[in-house]
Amino acid sequence: MTPEPLLAVKSIDVSYGRTKVLRGVSLELGANEVVCIIGRNGAGKTTLLRALMGVLPVRKGEVRLLGRDVTGWKGHRRAHMGLSWVPQGSSVFPGLSVEDHLGIASRVSERAETHQEVMTLFPVLSQRLSQEAQTLSGGERKMLAIAQGLVSRPKVMLMDEPTEGVAPVIVAQIRSALSRLVEVCSIVLVEQNVDTALAVGTRAYVLERGAVVEKGDMRELHDSGIIRKRLGL
Amino acid sequence: MSDLLTNAFSVLSLASVFILTALGLHFTFGLLGLVNLAHGEFLLVGAYIAYAIQQTTGSTVAGVMLAPLGAAALGLVMERSLLRIFYDRPLDSLLVTFGLSVIMRQGVQLIYSAVPRQVRDPLRGSLTLLDVNIPKWRLLIVVVDVLLITGIFVLLSRTTFGLRARACVRNPELAETMGIDVSWVRAFLFAIGSGLAGLAGGLLAPISTLDPQFGLLLLVNAFLVVILGGVGSLPGLVIGGLMLGGSLALLQFFIPTVLAQILVLVLAVLGVRVRPFLIERRGERAHPTSSTAVT
Repeated sequence: MTPEPLLAVKSIDVSYGRTKVLRGVSLELGANEVVCIIGRNGAGKTTLLRALMGVLPVRKGEVRLLGRDVTGWKGHRRAHMGLSWVPQGSSVFPGLSVEDHLGIASRVSERAETHQEVMTLFPVLSQRLSQEAQTLSGGERKMLAIAQGLVSRPKVMLMDEPTEGVAPVIVAQIRSALSRLVEVCSIVLVEQNVDTALAVGTRAYVLERGAVVEKGDMRELHDSGIIRKRLGL
Repeated sequence: MSDLLTNAFSVLSLASVFILTALGLHFTFGLLGLVNLAHGEFLLVGAYIAYAIQQTTGSTVAGVMLAPLGAAALGLVMERSLLRIFYDRPLDSLLVTFGLSVIMRQGVQLIYSAVPRQVRDPLRGSLTLLDVNIPKWRLLIVVVDVLLITGIFVLLSRTTFGLRARACVRNPELAETMGIDVSWVRAFLFAIGSGLAGLAGGLLAPISTLDPQFGLLLLVNAFLVVILGGVGSLPGLVIGGLMLGGSLALLQFFIPTVLAQILVLVLAVLGVRVRPFLIERRGERAHPTSSTAVT
């Protein structure tokens, strides 16, 4: 008998008002796996992650996390179950410092330990601890968002375009961080950058107009030209 | 010298009343963003709880201590049952809290009628310090103000709850996804705000005449203090209270009280009008060559 996946999405529909954005989307995420969600702008990638995190309600279908049905659960309950979210654009809490951000995400008893891990992964943040997060550069904000996810000790991380709009040197740092993160958790990664997806992804789902149109091994999908064709590259 | 100190205490006493009435609004309006027109009625409820307890037990102190608990419980019930769906809907929240204020006021009138009531001052009399006569209860209000401001500062800036509360206020969606139950944090903040209003009502009861209109004028002053000092800013609230209390106390020396109150309202409106420009200029001085963060 195969073990139940960490995250199982079964034929979900998600709507904004009357507009249906996701139609019957299903996916599975196993242990220490990076599953990439690929698609053009407006395909429903961010909507999918928001629905998985509980920010958007699921109209139909089921979301199972660590074997439990969490479909109707709010975001904070999912977070306590081990789900963490790195949102697109890496929004922050205005007026709060980098240290505050890490403090909110971490358990009080593990604060010192998790902070040390973050500083090892992103040394630049150790020089910014007292700085207000909204004054960080775009790349540093992305690092902070990933660091916040990490200190919450997640079992599953949802990452929405962590390398979008950042300098190549920071893309390399984030890519390296992702490779290390997968040793401690599984990741659903929305990524437009095919090279990054290929470097860290094990499997991929291609979304088009809110539905899964292709799925399979990341490398095979790439080598067969399906990803480039679907993305119009 | 004695006159100067007497006047200084008058200013401090009036300012402390303004600040006391506005502390609860700092939570419900300043932090949560609810245009809470029922704030005055939470003051009213606190005052009448103090009155009822004093009538039953003979103890004003017990009444003052129970007033915040009763008001906080009422606030919690209202938030959970109704107000929690009105965050981020300012016009709707204004209408709903106005409706609640009318219901609460009429409720008090139904139970206690419109006949003015008096709560006994258990600390009758004055202290004499440096030749200045200071009414004991008014001194108590100043002391309680200082303790409350310190306590609120510590709660919001030095505790895990405070950190999480600030996160909920500034980015509720992100806070929720980081494991914070935003809905309950908001409920607790509203209950704290209501409780503080209840405490203010209880403390002001022995130096006021109680009737169902008790909260109305206090509501206007509380909003002025919060807005003048900068919505959501605790130091701003204290400064706003000192400015309003100070100007009213000073004007009352020279002109009749009613005229002084009108003039203070005009000054407050002017202050709110000018405030954004002052902040802008201060910001420019602090960051003369502000640069955009780059990737």
